[in-house]
Amino acid sequence: LGHPQNLKCVTHNLHKMICTWDVSPRRRHGQTDFCYTTNDLPTPVCFKTKEKRVEIPVPHSSSTVTITTNSISETKVFKIHKKDVLFIPVTPRILSLTPDFSTSTLNLKWSDNGSLFPDGLDAVWQIQILRKETMEKVTQVTYHSKLTHEDIILSWNWTSDMPLECTSHYVKIRCYINVTQFVGLKEWSDWSPVEVIPGKDTDPSESGVFPLDTVVAVGSDVTFCCVHEEGQNITNMSYGSKPYPMIQLSSRSHAIRVLNASASDTSGTNVVCRLNNGMMEGTVLFVGYAPDIPQNLSCETPNFQIIKCTWKPGRPSGLYGKRRTKYSLFERTSGKNVSCEVNEMNRERVCGFPVLPDQKTYDFILGVSNPIGQAESSLLVDITQRVHPKTPEKLTVSENNSTSIHLRWFINGSFAQIRLLCQIEISSGHSEQKIHNVSMPGGKFSAYTAHLNALRPYTKYQFRVRCSAAEQFWKWSDWSRVEEYTTSEA
Amino acid sequence: MAGADSPSAALRRHDLCARGIRLAGKMRSDVLDLLDTYVEQQGLDASASVAAVEGVPPAAVERWDEQTGTQRLLENLAAYRAFRSLLAQMLEEQQEQLGEADATLGRALAAVLLQVSAFAYHLEELLRLESRGPPSEEEDRPPPQPQGLFEQKLRGLGVLRELAQWAVRSARDLRQLAKPSPGASSSPSPAESP
Repeated sequence: LGHPQNLKCVTHNLHKMICTWDVSPRRRHGQTDFCYTTNDLPTPVCFKTKEKRVEIPVPHSSSTVTITTNSISETKVFKIHKKDVLFIPVTPRILSLTPDFSTSTLNLKWSDNGSLFPDGLDAVWQIQILRKETMEKVTQVTYHSKLTHEDIILSWNWTSDMPLECTSHYVKIRCYINVTQFVGLKEWSDWSPVEVIPGKDTDPSESGVFPLDTVVAVGSDVTFCCVHEEGQNITNMSYGSKPYPMIQLSSRSHAIRVLNASASDTSGTNVVCRLNNGMMEGTVLFVGYAPDIPQNLSCETPNFQIIKCTWKPGRPSGLYGKRRTKYSLFERTSGKNVSCEVNEMNRERVCGFPVLPDQKTYDFILGVSNPIGQAESSLLVDITQRVHPKTPEKLTVSENNSTSIHLRWFINGSFAQIRLLCQIEISSGHSEQKIHNVSMPGGKFSAYTAHLNALRPYTKYQFRVRCSAAEQFWKWSDWSRVEEYTTSEA
Repeated sequence: MAGADSPSAALRRHDLCARGIRLAGKMRSDVLDLLDTYVEQQGLDASASVAAVEGVPPAAVERWDEQTGTQRLLENLAAYRAFRSLLAQMLEEQQEQLGEADATLGRALAAVLLQVSAFAYHLEELLRLESRGPPSEEEDRPPPQPQGLFEQKLRGLGVLRELAQWAVRSARDLRQLAKPSPGASSSPSPAESP
């Protein structure tokens, strides 16, 4: 009677172990002599304690423990084998739990206490997420890491299926370390203290519908919640014109879940929470598409001043105003970036990029992005091979004699880097249309001339001209306006 | 109004009142059309109840018939100056939120804004007739920023509804002003002390 029993030893770090025992039946707290010895200790180590708990080294193989309860001079000897020692890792400590309300994401940071253990051990972490006033378990996730004999701060993100504002979210964590060389029993650590991100339903002054004015992709599932003031009740919650069944999160927060959301109208889909006092709270959801990869990206220059890039946008995003799809043209060689003004309503997409001094080749990336996603297309182009001159202007005709004339026209642009090929179309009532090709060095915002012979005297002719790059043909300019001229009599 | 009028001033006031009444009538019908477009375009429920919108002067007034002509004009002018700034903000918000996606609503809003500005100028003309002139414009305090888009939509609904009410009230006020009866005259301004 009264002797020590149920001796148990637990280690948290594989070096020291905490041994505890019972004394039955429970006796007044007396002084105890505690001695232990192992094969590699010359003499037993003894000390007095009033506690029924001591910390001693973990033995290589076994320890002999002698516990003497002085008040009744009862002595009990225990043999502790290493295999009987229980290894429970230290309870993890959450360093930080940070919410990102815009993405409904929680970021968890904790220390792996790796310095307590030899290098290279596998650690398994269980992270539990709880929610609502009733702290219901939402999910439990397993995370693996390797210990490195240093204290490493681990980080983990979790995205909630509902806005963090809706109700409080709680997180706790525990770990299991797979110490293969430790022959004793191994168990999970205790759960860490719970960390909480309070919902808006815990703040008396807060109310509203969440998420506030967000953008999602078509087909998304979205949870909305209505946080209302104490004493108010929700009569119904609707998405668009359709009421939805409500899920209670707390006394001040109810949610609805919209599945497979379809594209919203231009002004978004209203989510309305009607309260029993007749008032309404609400939010707007914008449902659209991520931008498609721009197709048929093509760039050309009309005048060696500007490069015009065009492309096919693909499926409309269904997002407008400040949520519309935005375009930018980035040129890798120069590092220059241009944002493009694009009218979402018209289908044609054009973006201008300045011709840069002494640069012929352009390595373009057309970047496309909207709140749902982004895409890009690239194009490497030598602009001397992509000349699409503007329409020739101010075509004039002057006469040399009754069978030869002089044509003069102007092209807006700087073509000094290339030769131009121009076609002069000659029409008259009498004969078939003729095309006269003429090539000339390009000029800088200059006029061009050509000489036509072998015309018939006293004949009415119509002339028009178009031009293109001579060496690397890309596109003809449009035809100039027609200029009429009647040759003089012979 | 300004004590005994000279015949030309009375005629001028009557003419301004008559034109103001027509302007108010046109404005009201355009605002009602705009309301329909707005409700549909913003996905709202036409019967939605909207709390009083901060910054929007209520059209309803107690003891309407006891108001002097000057009070009527001053209250009307304050209201339409407020509506001018609210509608300008709505137009800006509409451009930011929808861009080119809904030019119809944008054009309708701009048209009503133009009418409101014209009506405010018209009221200033009437006040000038009183040789006291309209009060100087206070620095347009930007209307309070709603918390979210839905609240913004409801506020727009509230502004347009109230503006439609004001158009009715303005027509009544101007008819009252147009009457030659003394009841329509204002308290004597210092210059006119009998």
